[in-house]
Amino acid sequence: MKYYLSLVFATAIINTTFAQIDYDVAKIPENLKKDAVAVIRNEESFFDVKGLGAAKMDYKVAITILNKAGETYGEMEEVYDKFSNIYNIKAALYDASGKKVKDYKSSDIKDQSLISDFSIFEDNRLKLLKFVSLTYPYTIEYSYSQDYKGLLSFPSWRDLRGFGIAVEKSAYTIQRAKDYKMRYITSSNLQTDSVINGEKLQYKWKSTNVAAIANEPLSTGFDNISAWVKASPNQFEYDGSTGNFDNWKNFGSWIFNLNQGGNKLPEATKLMVQNLIKDAKTPKEKIKILYNHLQQNTRYVSVQLGIGGFRPILAEKVAQVNYGDCKALSNYMKALLNEAGIASNLIMIGNDMPSLNPNYSSLGQANHMILCVPLAKDTTFLECTSQYNPMGFIGYGNSDRNVLMVTEDGGKLVHTPVYQPKENYQVRKTKITLAEDGTASSEIKATYGNAQFEENFSMTLMEPVDLRKKIIEESAIPVAELISYKYLQPDKTVPVLTEEIIFKTNPLLTKGGDKLFLVVNQINRRESVPLKLEGRKTYFAVPFGYNDDDEINYILPKGYQVEFIPKDITISSEFGTYTAKFSVKDNIIVYSRTQTMNNKKYPPEKYGEYVDFYKKIYQADKQKAVLTKTL
Amino acid sequence: MQKNALRFLILMLCIGISSLYAQTSKPVKREFKFGKIAPTEFEIKASGQDSSASAIKLFDVGDCYFEIGPTSGGFIYVFERHIRYKILNKNGYDLANFKVELYKSGNSAKEDLNYLDAATYNMVDGKMVTSKLNKDAKFTEEFNKNYIIKKFALPNVKEGSIIEFKYKIKSDFIFTLRGWRFQSSVPTLWSEYNVKIPEYLTYKTNMSGYYQVDHPLHENVNASYVTGVNSNAVYDKYCAANVPALKEEPYVTTMDDYNPKIEFELRATNFPGDVYHDYNGSWSKIITELAQDENFGGYINRNGYAKSVLPGILKGEKDTLAAVKLIFNYVKNSLKWNKQYSKYSNETNPKNLFEKKTGSSGDINLALLSLLKEAKIEAYPVLISTRENGTHPGYPLISAFNNVIAVTQIGNELYYLDATDKDLPIGMLDYENLSHNGFYMDLKNNDGKWLSTEPNVPSEKIFVYNMVLDKEHKLSGKINQYAKGYAALNLRNKYRATNNETEFIKGFKKDKTGLEVSAYKIENLDNLDELLSESMDAVIEDNVEEAGNLVYFTPLLFERTKENLFKLEQRKFPVDFAYPFKESYRITVNFPDDYEIDKLPKGGIFKLPEDNGTFTINYVTEGKTLLVRSNINVNKSFYTPEEYFDLQALFKAIVEKQAEQIVFKKKV
Repeated sequence: MKYYLSLVFATAIINTTFAQIDYDVAKIPENLKKDAVAVIRNEESFFDVKGLGAAKMDYKVAITILNKAGETYGEMEEVYDKFSNIYNIKAALYDASGKKVKDYKSSDIKDQSLISDFSIFEDNRLKLLKFVSLTYPYTIEYSYSQDYKGLLSFPSWRDLRGFGIAVEKSAYTIQRAKDYKMRYITSSNLQTDSVINGEKLQYKWKSTNVAAIANEPLSTGFDNISAWVKASPNQFEYDGSTGNFDNWKNFGSWIFNLNQGGNKLPEATKLMVQNLIKDAKTPKEKIKILYNHLQQNTRYVSVQLGIGGFRPILAEKVAQVNYGDCKALSNYMKALLNEAGIASNLIMIGNDMPSLNPNYSSLGQANHMILCVPLAKDTTFLECTSQYNPMGFIGYGNSDRNVLMVTEDGGKLVHTPVYQPKENYQVRKTKITLAEDGTASSEIKATYGNAQFEENFSMTLMEPVDLRKKIIEESAIPVAELISYKYLQPDKTVPVLTEEIIFKTNPLLTKGGDKLFLVVNQINRRESVPLKLEGRKTYFAVPFGYNDDDEINYILPKGYQVEFIPKDITISSEFGTYTAKFSVKDNIIVYSRTQTMNNKKYPPEKYGEYVDFYKKIYQADKQKAVLTKTL
Repeated sequence: MQKNALRFLILMLCIGISSLYAQTSKPVKREFKFGKIAPTEFEIKASGQDSSASAIKLFDVGDCYFEIGPTSGGFIYVFERHIRYKILNKNGYDLANFKVELYKSGNSAKEDLNYLDAATYNMVDGKMVTSKLNKDAKFTEEFNKNYIIKKFALPNVKEGSIIEFKYKIKSDFIFTLRGWRFQSSVPTLWSEYNVKIPEYLTYKTNMSGYYQVDHPLHENVNASYVTGVNSNAVYDKYCAANVPALKEEPYVTTMDDYNPKIEFELRATNFPGDVYHDYNGSWSKIITELAQDENFGGYINRNGYAKSVLPGILKGEKDTLAAVKLIFNYVKNSLKWNKQYSKYSNETNPKNLFEKKTGSSGDINLALLSLLKEAKIEAYPVLISTRENGTHPGYPLISAFNNVIAVTQIGNELYYLDATDKDLPIGMLDYENLSHNGFYMDLKNNDGKWLSTEPNVPSEKIFVYNMVLDKEHKLSGKINQYAKGYAALNLRNKYRATNNETEFIKGFKKDKTGLEVSAYKIENLDNLDELLSESMDAVIEDNVEEAGNLVYFTPLLFERTKENLFKLEQRKFPVDFAYPFKESYRITVNFPDDYEIDKLPKGGIFKLPEDNGTFTINYVTEGKTLLVRSNINVNKSFYTPEEYFDLQALFKAIVEKQAEQIVFKKKV
């Protein structure tokens, strides 16, 4: 009898968590309204793992939109595919007092395809609902269920969705059978409650009364200030495949096995490979030839369907059509190398994402595949989706991170090459010959390396009409007439780009009474200073470390004299170093400037120093020389 | 306005003349067979201004004809297209991923992709190798309930490959036919469109664009639609050869306005045994149709909702302008625009719209008309083709409109009304609607004409700085800023879209290094008829500099025009700003006693011909006070490509003169 009672009690608890709560805006604590455009009133995710390949999510959320700036949160946008059908959607709108003003009908909910920009086809779709209220604030509420067929990863959870949104209450529960194995990691101070419920075990996390954070530039994310949970199955089933994610080694085995037998090449392609490499002496030469062949003959076409999102298309197939996504092209390249007697390994990598966490293996930390060719002396990484990258150059988005190497013995964490600030260089020499009227002819010669090569490479691919426009539009020195320009990659195997531009300028000297002013740094000026922030909360970083090296020679016309020249400036901080040197010799002003920026992640309290550093650079960059006419 | 009307006429005349003239040239016989590639096609290279194009369109041939639909028994149209490219470099690879968009409506009417073939051809060791489109390289994206996108990826595409697509669509939607564009982002060697229209149907054609299209054939041919019945069709061929790539330019309505193209809209049907149906052959017919349409005139006439709310809105107001304002504000405050333009309502009754609280521009502005009508205020719909939708050709063509607004006349004044944005006052149109003209319609009296929608007042920004300069080179004082017209609209939008004033001020300061503000105040935010004013106390550092015993600064501080908006050496298309604008700046600076100004910069006036634009700047000192004034007036919304260089010169003068420094000498 007692048992029976407690069962009723348990059911009652589940019911109340989904029962109506009061959405009166007046009940939102004041501290949550500060800096907020919206407040999550209540968010509940209940993820019930039913087996190796099945789970159900019950999701419910209520968000108060405080003002127009918060309207982006006033939408339901839920992604699904054929392995994760969404149903039982309910949605309602409440006014400021918390009174329900509208229940939405299923016909109000739109359904559309959701295909990434880079893909031609994917099976993702979107359930979409735009809530409409004429006045602020208002509250939206919706809920749905989602059935997962196949379980590669669990939904993750984070209380703060972004800048400007506060959280009154958000909770996440994962329920599993007692003997089901899974892993999770959480933010540092988050408490995990484990509750046994019959044959089931529940993990519960929650977060309450978290104030919003006003926008912070250069932020590296919310990991240090938000509550979050990431969870992953150990064993899983998905789209007819089974595997084990409990460590990176097993993860790698799964990928390896998915790809078993996918490395065969048609006879004709084998012949072609042998033919291509017949005169090559070293493995390096062979790699170069085959990589070049890949770049000349294939193109990137992405199709992501079910397990096809993880399993590369057969090399045989790629040989036939000469296109594929990152997996297909990497795997095809692997097959070509294999035919040449060179072993290589597929690499799972988070492109423009953080390093793989060595202590927590899960899907979703990687979004890309490249190839690794371990040689006796060095290891070459190949980005197989690029038709232009020099061999071994994998780009900034792939560099300096932990990645998973897929081997027959399972996965192995390795680290990709690092491009140091000094290697991401821009070295530029500019000669400016000033005329009497203040206009000038200008000659720029520059060299860009690595990340800066990557940033500017598209210049070599543009059509002349467009390139001309771009040069004129983007030139720091105002162009009056563009005479000639040239962008070259002198050696296709090295990530270095050269630039030569010759043009006539609009007046560079500004008048002031009987004086003439010349901003000595005409070409690489810092034009603004980041805004100061009180009490910054998130970490920050510059997009990448680099080194800029500029030298400008100004040749003055006859009859001009330098009345004033700024003093040399050196600024250094942990963010980087800066020097500016000014000198006059005969009728030539020589200016040289170097700036080196480090690509570290900095704690929030350093931001004030960062702003000061840039303020000094800003001031140094606008130093002017004063000229007078002697006649 | 007169000038704009004239421009219209000229444009139409040109089209008329060109098609007459072109008809005399003889058609060249060309054949296009799928898979039949001449070896010489592999030799073709780009030339001239497109010499480094990523690809060349070797040909693009379309056929449009009619047949009897199997299910409906009525006419459907068939659209066939055959297109061949030579890929010159890797930038052209995207052309090998091809898509075809198909439409279906709520009922069973739809479009089908009836046939598709595609292949890649490569020259390998002097032999042509054909790679057919693979079965698993065909995809169907169900975008939403109305659109299906068929996608295809061709195999084995390399530099030098030739690729080709041929497909056939059957469509139930015969009111407008698929049009044809003769220019694209890559150069085109040959483009032609063949249209055969049964004698029972007549279509209006709309040709536009900035490139000559030939019309070598216009003849009657035999056609059979129903077995045993001989009928005729009108066959037209349009073509263009050696068309260069279309390159984008800034400050245009839409690039599509400059792409040579042809579009079709049904004028009338005349079936044997049936009466002649004029759909919209004349403005008069268009107005009649719209007056009866349940999503237009019918919707306006549904007065139940208007009746129930008007007494509460008007509360006996007798003055017409005041009543218009009350109704206009009521509609703006009760409805939220869903960002979709439409010339029709989606609802059939305004009542439903006010319940839903949201709708398209057509829903909202036609509902406004419904209320005005019930209040016995004379107001009329005005059809608009938005800037994005492209310039309307001027003659009766309903499909070329995509939006509707309202107009009312009070006394001698016309007031345009657009209730889609709360911040639009009476008389002002949203930027997208500034396409110079709109078509006004009196539904009751079946009358209509083109009206100018040119804004009659320019958008204006006024900056007033009152500053004191101290010896630490700090400027402190007050900044007042005022905005009118579109400048005010933009500022209101920005202010409302920002979380709070602190964030707004952050945004304001962002590109103004050295500025600190306090006591910020914005006035008339909700009072749309008044000048939008901002005031603040300001301290400005980092802007006054020192060199030896010289102290200098740029008096325009943060409002200096730093770069010429018109840097490019060439302009093919008109510059269309949508509205004229003014910017005036005034700063007074009290400077320290022991500072002297040796020589002030010279003031000046820069004028464009015919008063199309002016820039003036002047400098005055009185004792230890400096006064600098700068005024920019861009007096037109539309400048021809020839006038581009005037604009360029105007902005060159602005950039140079506004950069001049004030130099103080310190007494020693």
